[in-house]
Amino acid sequence: MAEKLLEIENLTAGFLTMSGTVKATEQVSISIDKGQTVCLVGESGSGKSVTSLAIMRLIDYSGGAILDGSIKFRGEDLTKRSQAEMIQTRGNKIAMIFQDPMSSLNPVFTVGDQIAESIMLHRKKGKKEARKMAVDMLRLVGIPAPEIRAKQYPHELSGGMCQRVVIAIALACEPDLLIADEPTTALDVTVQAQILDLLRSLQKELGMSILMITHDMGVAAEMADRIAVMYAGIIVEEGSASDIFARPSHPYTEGLLKSVPGLEGARGEELFTIKGNIPGLSQLPEGCRFHPRCPHAKEICREKAPPAFTVKGDHHAACWMYMGDGGEAGWTIESIPEVSR
Amino acid sequence: MTEFFIRRTLQSVLVLFLITLVTFGLIHAAPGGPFQIMLSPGLTPEALQMQAHNMGLDRPLPIQYFSWLGDLLQGDLGYTFKNHVAIGDILWPTIKNTFILMGVAWLLTLIIAIPWGIYNSTKEYSLSDQTASFISYIGFAMPTFWFGIILQQIFSIKLDWLPLADMYSMDKEGQVGNLLLHLILPVTVLTLGFLAAYVKYSRASMLEILDQDYVRTARAKGVREGKVIYKHALRNALIPVITIVALDLPLLVAGAALTESVFNWPGMGRLFVQMAVAREYSVLMAITLLTSVIVILGNLLADLLYAVVDPRVQLGKKGGKSA
Amino acid sequence: MSEANMQTSAVISPVEVQAAKPLERPPGPWRTAWSKFRRNPYAMTGLVVLLVFIVSGLAAPWLTKYDPAKIDLLYANLKAGTDAHLLGTDEMGRDIFARLLYSARVSLLVGFAVAAGSVVIGTLVGSFSGYFGGFIDTCFMRLVDVMNSIPLLFLNILVLAIFGTEFSYMIIVLILTSWMSVARLVRGTFLQLREMQYVEAARAIGVSNFGIIFRHLLRNASFPIIVNATLMVGAAILSESALSFLGLGIQAPQTSWGLMLSNAQEFMLVDPLQAVYPGVCILLVVLAVNFIGDGIQDSLNPRQKMSERRIDRWRKSFLKSKI
Repeated sequence: MAEKLLEIENLTAGFLTMSGTVKATEQVSISIDKGQTVCLVGESGSGKSVTSLAIMRLIDYSGGAILDGSIKFRGEDLTKRSQAEMIQTRGNKIAMIFQDPMSSLNPVFTVGDQIAESIMLHRKKGKKEARKMAVDMLRLVGIPAPEIRAKQYPHELSGGMCQRVVIAIALACEPDLLIADEPTTALDVTVQAQILDLLRSLQKELGMSILMITHDMGVAAEMADRIAVMYAGIIVEEGSASDIFARPSHPYTEGLLKSVPGLEGARGEELFTIKGNIPGLSQLPEGCRFHPRCPHAKEICREKAPPAFTVKGDHHAACWMYMGDGGEAGWTIESIPEVSR
Repeated sequence: MTEFFIRRTLQSVLVLFLITLVTFGLIHAAPGGPFQIMLSPGLTPEALQMQAHNMGLDRPLPIQYFSWLGDLLQGDLGYTFKNHVAIGDILWPTIKNTFILMGVAWLLTLIIAIPWGIYNSTKEYSLSDQTASFISYIGFAMPTFWFGIILQQIFSIKLDWLPLADMYSMDKEGQVGNLLLHLILPVTVLTLGFLAAYVKYSRASMLEILDQDYVRTARAKGVREGKVIYKHALRNALIPVITIVALDLPLLVAGAALTESVFNWPGMGRLFVQMAVAREYSVLMAITLLTSVIVILGNLLADLLYAVVDPRVQLGKKGGKSA
Repeated sequence: MSEANMQTSAVISPVEVQAAKPLERPPGPWRTAWSKFRRNPYAMTGLVVLLVFIVSGLAAPWLTKYDPAKIDLLYANLKAGTDAHLLGTDEMGRDIFARLLYSARVSLLVGFAVAAGSVVIGTLVGSFSGYFGGFIDTCFMRLVDVMNSIPLLFLNILVLAIFGTEFSYMIIVLILTSWMSVARLVRGTFLQLREMQYVEAARAIGVSNFGIIFRHLLRNASFPIIVNATLMVGAAILSESALSFLGLGIQAPQTSWGLMLSNAQEFMLVDPLQAVYPGVCILLVVLAVNFIGDGIQDSLNPRQKMSERRIDRWRKSFLKSKI
């Protein structure tokens, strides 16, 4: 069995607001093997970004906090660390890239300096050497004329270029885990493909794991080894990419897949949509959080939240449909299995 | 860059021209016309006519305007009606006095306000932040001159620690120590007023920056929090603050009419009030124009500074984003 | 920040409320704002204080038996409480309490009149400028530039010195130096609305779009205009007191807090408390109005951007009436 790099168990994270604590994620468990790509898929507001910020412990700076659970990185629990200890890991062992490349770069520093900073921090190099390595990084992420680009400011580069720079910053210290939060959402479609290709080839080159956060099933299909689908703060389905695309088991996943406009769909055919909206965190429905929008909702869905049932092998879904349904142990309501074992 | 400069300068000249028109127009729109205002009272009609003729007040308005403008352009600000003193001779020492008062207050404000505001942005709703907030609210709502009067009552009359008013004590003209003593109260009043705005401003500006994605990127890089703030956030946060600072620069010359009046400080503000009461319109016109010129120069400087500190701003090029 | 922010804001977003309870009609913007405003202790305190001042100003004749203008040198400088003079008398034997009450009328009248006048002029200029664009827009915006380049306190003093210190002149000149922020705001909203699809659509089928834009303008800009106007009330009250203090505003036998302060400063040695009362009144009223303005602002749109604009406006009012 492959080596586990990151194991998130029962992570509950949320925000402290005037009217009390709002949980943005509840009991989230994900694990990532070395060299693996896991995609966390969900609509905006489903808690996937909060999960990624929690791993980085950056959630502390957005008025949020980890309320419960553990995040084990190479066996060590990150939730127990202080911020002073976290800065050793951030940008070094775990790196992150964000959605909007343009606003992710500091407008008043040259891109070269922004990459070099990371190298100077974690590799303890001098300014000159770090700058040279920054140019190498720019070359690595496929930026032409890197010596010139390194001296330019972010506003002088295009969006796709900026995202390459952001990737260069993240990978400058060859991290073990890269968290990519919607890395292509803000980009043109053609550039999106380039960036995904780049990430894939760099992953091979550096042997890192990727946690990819996306709302786009297409991106997940292209990148993921495993997929976890989030809805309203919880993971509703989790399994290998092939299993999920072959047999989407949670009604929400099914809806997500159906609502991807495919090339093969007949023109003029109405696109599938999931009716309703994702609920606000303070108005979560009783029982299964998806039941108000679920076409198969039954009485029990309204009353009690489903645990994760095994669909097949390591494919799990939190839906009452799978209670006692062919799972290896025939799960019952009382014995709640852990999702990702 | 040059193109931007030329365009801005032309714009400024236009605005300045309009200001001369407004000031000139105001004085000639006065009830009774300029005759009644500009001429010495108590003269016979014939003598009035004579004086008006001598001063060129019987010429058509446009001609008067352009001759006045011509004099101005040659640096001739004109003369007071009473005593016929050259206005320039009155203005320059006054500007120096104002500059001392405003300069001290303003520097003190910057030294206190910017670090404090930035500190507060990282400690929102802390005791320090709430204190600053309290000071701001009071500072914004309080009549500054009233605060001056209260300070005078406490520190000059009751406690007799500090001089009540003026720039120097009677026989201590020119002594720096004495000047400093006289500065304390008016500077306190002005600094409190300035502080209210500047602390809030630098706090708000910093808060906005701390919300930006690139600050998160810096943290994700493993930069420690102190450095995130003073290296990554501060430079961006200071951009709008510097602009405001440049916009306020003209105050160093325009002075503080109310504070100077309360503390009898011989500066531009007090001079303006005195001249208004004495109806010395040529002095008022000169001061209004002078301060307007400086305000416009300050605006120009603010734009330039903006371009210097923010690499995104490319003056004269289209698409140069602001902030 | 994106998702974290969206999630926290999702908690209070009216869209979400709608999604949860589709049958209930969401409350209108005014209702929502009011229910938030009501829960803001500062804003409600401000409202109560302002109402107390309004009521006591209106009911002045019933609250005191003294005529604020009646000079009686026999009873000058009485201590508080003697002969039913609640707060004593001033150097001319006028009842201080009565003067305070009648001054409230003056200050509030100036405050509300100036705010109302500025909103009218600002809306007119702003909507014309925004609707017609082009040359008219350029002209109006240059005018705004000119107004912002002249030190406004100087301009106020200049105009009052030339035309005389009539009460109505003071209100007019304060309006003429306060309308610019509303004009900018309305113009901005107008320009934004013009780009909207439905206006395009209306134009395409030949509907007079001025009406459409104006209706939407009033809907979209009314909240910011109200906030602006509220803060203008405070600024105008401060301006009035400043001008009166300098001797260019309210003249005896009329009374105003600023004028009272100017008397009190002269007789500081005799009765220090005389300077305290009017100042406290100004402070309280302006504080109350500012709290109300902030409360409205927060109940509508508690965003950072706006607060910066608010600070900027405070700064301008500081330069105009308090320095």
